[in-house]
Amino acid sequence: MTQKLLEIKNLSAGIAESGKEIIKGLNLTINAGETHAIMGPNGAGKSTLSYVITGKSDYAVTGGEMLFEGQNLCTLKPEERAALGIFLSMQSPIEIPGVTTQNFLKHSVNAVRKYNNLPELDAAEFLKLLRTAAKEFDVSTDMLKREINVGFSGGEKKRMEILQLSLLQPKLAILDEADSGLDIDALKIVANGVNQWHNQNNSLLIITHHLDLLKRIKPDFVHIYSDGHIVKTGDMALAEELETSGYKNYLKASV
Amino acid sequence: MSLLKQDISLFGDNIPWFEGLREKARKAFERIGLPTAKTEAWKYSYFKEDALNKPQIDETPHECDGHCHDASKLPFAAVELKYCNGKLTHIAHDLPCGIIIRPLYEATEDGEIKPYLNKSFDMEEFPFAALNTAFLDEGLFIVITAGTILNMPIYLHYHQHSGMNRLCNIRNIIVIEKGAKATLIEDFDGESDARYFDNIVNEIYVGTGAILQHYKRQNEASEAHHVAFNSVQVKSGGKYESLIAHGECALARTESCVRLTQENASAEVNGVYRLAQNGVSDITTNIRHLAPHTDSDQLVKGVLDGKAKGVFQGQIHIAPDAQQTTGYQLHRALVLSDGAEVDCKPELEIFADDVKCSHGATSGDLDAEQLFYMQARGIPLAEARQILIEAYLNEVFEKVEDTAVAEWLKGRL
Ligand SMILES: Nc1ncnc2c1ncn2[C@@H]1O[C@H](COP(=O)(O)OP(=O)(O)O)[C@@H](O)[C@H]1O
Ligand SMILES: [Mg+2]
Repeated sequence: MTQKLLEIKNLSAGIAESGKEIIKGLNLTINAGETHAIMGPNGAGKSTLSYVITGKSDYAVTGGEMLFEGQNLCTLKPEERAALGIFLSMQSPIEIPGVTTQNFLKHSVNAVRKYNNLPELDAAEFLKLLRTAAKEFDVSTDMLKREINVGFSGGEKKRMEILQLSLLQPKLAILDEADSGLDIDALKIVANGVNQWHNQNNSLLIITHHLDLLKRIKPDFVHIYSDGHIVKTGDMALAEELETSGYKNYLKASV
Repeated sequence: MSLLKQDISLFGDNIPWFEGLREKARKAFERIGLPTAKTEAWKYSYFKEDALNKPQIDETPHECDGHCHDASKLPFAAVELKYCNGKLTHIAHDLPCGIIIRPLYEATEDGEIKPYLNKSFDMEEFPFAALNTAFLDEGLFIVITAGTILNMPIYLHYHQHSGMNRLCNIRNIIVIEKGAKATLIEDFDGESDARYFDNIVNEIYVGTGAILQHYKRQNEASEAHHVAFNSVQVKSGGKYESLIAHGECALARTESCVRLTQENASAEVNGVYRLAQNGVSDITTNIRHLAPHTDSDQLVKGVLDGKAKGVFQGQIHIAPDAQQTTGYQLHRALVLSDGAEVDCKPELEIFADDVKCSHGATSGDLDAEQLFYMQARGIPLAEARQILIEAYLNEVFEKVEDTAVAEWLKGRL
């Protein structure tokens, strides 16, 4: 029996301030255990979709609906969506001067635990959890003491995002260009981390331009996203086709 | 001038030089009067008319059982000194070697205080210091003798009970002799419904090669008025390192005037303020480089919410022969509401040519991208804001050498 995790129905959304529409009638259903990949040209609105799902206030939903385990997402704050199990690995993770990585992660883990009525971890318990995870993602103690993302290289930032995925154990992970700027070793660490977390009960939405990551995290579905909605859905073969012929066959102008 | 009309008797009217000084101060205060909105040095934080015509000097001796100081139990060892309702009520016993602590009246009676009292500033320039001098009666004379390295801070706690609207004039003279090192912590608080006007003057003399770390924390009743003047003089190779932490108060002004009188003297005057009601915080500095090779550095950061107001006035003066001198100053404020206001007035007066000087000021809101990132990691918005505010102010607290003291200073903001 397949279980619907995320259901997006006829979603329209745009920039809150200007009212500019970016997402135009998008439909997407992600069942538990599935991996979906979204590919599409720059500026198509892929990152916007990830922000609309996670509730960033710069964007406004103008139509349709988003359900997460049957619950309406639109009325929930970003922190509530996160605590329910939606994780976004950002295309450009944010630097926060003055807040150490370790401190940031502790606040995050405990906030999610608190929301889910789990006891918060004390300093020692948290440190134990963190050390294990850090080792797995090749993150040094020194890096944990540094301010979160400040002065991190592109690869370090992405590894840190996946470390957070592993700590928070969400039900749905959205990875927005998690592979950009990674060398082969870092790509392996990221892909292994994702695969280790992924199981029958959780799901993945991967936004990427590259086959490398998809070859390591095998998607069940590949969607082509253009002009605010999904124009074609296929499997890994579709991604391979895009690698050779690009998006031109699927853009509005050529239809 | 109603403030001067206090029907009280002060100690020492039989000591001619002392009574003479008070008389001179009364005349000076009568002449210059209270600052108004038109007084340049006070234009952002002048007192409302009625704030200052009611407070009275409290003559009743304070019977303090010590419990009023319990709330401020320290997480570190210190030489503890306490003022309650403006009266000195406690001096630590068993003082470490090399520290002399005497009540003001005692050091006045035998004349020991004479070389220091009112010797570091000109009353004509500082109306509240003139007022303080006119009512000289209470205070401390503290000397750290040459070469003494104090291994625990000197802690001055000032507490105010509710009751009458009190005017408290306190004078502390602090002398750090040649090569000595000490930490002085001042802590101000009061019962939430207390009304008072604290008028504090500290005269601080940092000797050759001596170091004073001076930290102040103030978080008071919403009807409280607080004016403090640190008049500091630093000799050759001496260091004055300070941090002023302002919390709630109707009006709190700390003015630090530091005179670097000899070569290689240096000063750090840092500050933080955090207010969320309708109070005013004013940090005013005046660093006077009077000799070559002198250095000063100032970092002041504030967070304002509600209808609070933050004022920073920073003056750096570099005298003609104070060559090869550095003077840096930076003021930054987070303004979290439309009702809050920040006023910043930097002033550089540079008469030497071979100097490095800079000042800067910024103000803005919390970063929306940072807040969303934290929310996307499950951290509730209010908590995320708190984390960012603490991180913002932390940059200043990091300048405090002793981390236990730094943590404690943060505690009340
Ligand atoms: N906060 C914003 N304010 C204004 N325009 C935005 C904002 N976010 C995205 N856009 C615009 O929306 C479009 C889609 O952007 P984005 O979602 O980042 O595309 P993609 O991730 O597919 O490259 C672009 O034209 C971009 O400039
Ligand atoms: Mg993008």
